[in-house]
Amino acid sequence: MKSIALSAGIIAASCVAGVAQADKLDDIIGSGTLRCAVVLDFPPMGMRDENNEPIGFDVDYCNDLAAALGVEAEIVETPFPERIPALMSNRVDVGVASTSDTLERAKTVGFSIPYFAFEMAVTANDETGIASFEDMKGHTVGAVAGTYEAIALEEYVNEWGDGTFRPYQTQADVFLALSQGQLDATVSTSTVAQANVQSGKFDGISVVGKAPFDIDYVALFAKRDEYGLINYLDLFVNQQVRTGRYDELYEKWVGGDVPQLTVPNAYR
Amino acid sequence: MFDYTFQWKQVLVRLPQMLDGAVVTMQVAVLSMIIGIALAVILTLLRLSGSRPLMAIATAWVEVARNTPALFQIYMAHFGVASFGIHFSPFVSLLIGITFNNAGYLAENFRGALKAIPDTQTRAGRSLGMSQLQAFRYIILPQMLRISFLPMTNQMVWAILMTSLGVTVGMNTDLYGVTQDLNALTFRTFELFAIAAVIFYVITKVITLSARLIAARLFRY
Repeated sequence: MKSIALSAGIIAASCVAGVAQADKLDDIIGSGTLRCAVVLDFPPMGMRDENNEPIGFDVDYCNDLAAALGVEAEIVETPFPERIPALMSNRVDVGVASTSDTLERAKTVGFSIPYFAFEMAVTANDETGIASFEDMKGHTVGAVAGTYEAIALEEYVNEWGDGTFRPYQTQADVFLALSQGQLDATVSTSTVAQANVQSGKFDGISVVGKAPFDIDYVALFAKRDEYGLINYLDLFVNQQVRTGRYDELYEKWVGGDVPQLTVPNAYR
Repeated sequence: MFDYTFQWKQVLVRLPQMLDGAVVTMQVAVLSMIIGIALAVILTLLRLSGSRPLMAIATAWVEVARNTPALFQIYMAHFGVASFGIHFSPFVSLLIGITFNNAGYLAENFRGALKAIPDTQTRAGRSLGMSQLQAFRYIILPQMLRISFLPMTNQMVWAILMTSLGVTVGMNTDLYGVTQDLNALTFRTFELFAIAAVIFYVITKVITLSARLIAARLFRY
């Protein structure tokens, strides 16, 4: 009798200990839902279809991750500037939000290995005669506030000491301003540039070349101290590539040559 | 649940940049108030003019300014007029948007103040040989400004807070714009926004308090 009480006590204690030690990964599996922060103003990574349902590379990627974890995916629409508040206030578990993995940001959030890579393209208003990145010098240029390309472009403008940089809030505003002639040129990911030029919504603009920025590697992110989850994310990204799913999604949403996710001579 | 480790040192080095932003915010707010008051006086005169088309213009301005979001007004000042080929810089667009809003609200404040001034005062002025405009300028206007002075400081506070909407038209030199840029760079959202909130609070508090002091001195009986 005594031993039963004792073992019951041990089981109860280990249960409590188990709860106390559960990390974010356990929480997600336990709750049955994976909540992903996805930017839905960033085609073809995140957008909405005719029925207003979220679609895009990031949406599919979140669904794959949820399937791997054996839980339901929940897409939480998150504009670029709100990714961190969404994570810190626990509205989302993981960011699948085309987030550049800068060292500055890594002081705040934990990044997985890169899951996508962007090349940067220059799109110009046809009337300006801008035909390359160098031609942008001295002109009014802009990009979406808070993005990798906006930060890099603003640095260039400051370095040139000539011309003006304007950050807008959404990709649509940037291309509207470009089409209206308020901006002479913009730098965006080549995927976004192609999508917008081909959409026919913006007159008088064309993609004129590449921007000489480093390739923009983007990573999944979670809370900085959730090692269990971040480990899982690393392996998940690796498996996506290994199984060919990355190529498949790239072909579905982007097309063309699949970018390398590794940096030559480096671990990641 | 909210767990976040605040790293104040990381962001306090950015404080000078944010204070520079606060200066720009003040510039926009002060300019928009000066121009806004001038426009509001004109709108008030138009409303008193008795001419139907002029009254219609003034009424339309006040109605749009008061019954549409300030965000919309600023957005239209940048992207709306640009579809007619008129381009303003973010600073000017923001200034136009806020000034438009200020003028509308202030004109309504002035109208309320006018109602509190008995009609007999104009007639007294007229009987002294003043023209209608002179009576307005020397007798009605000073009283109108006195009555609406405190509501004007309200509008000033509102103008300061409206500068934060400049980010929608590409403004990144005001306090909120600077904060957003730093946020994108560092991801230290909560520290940066907390500091911005304190700066906004201090600015508006200083303005309301000094307005009260000025009012006490200016408008003693």
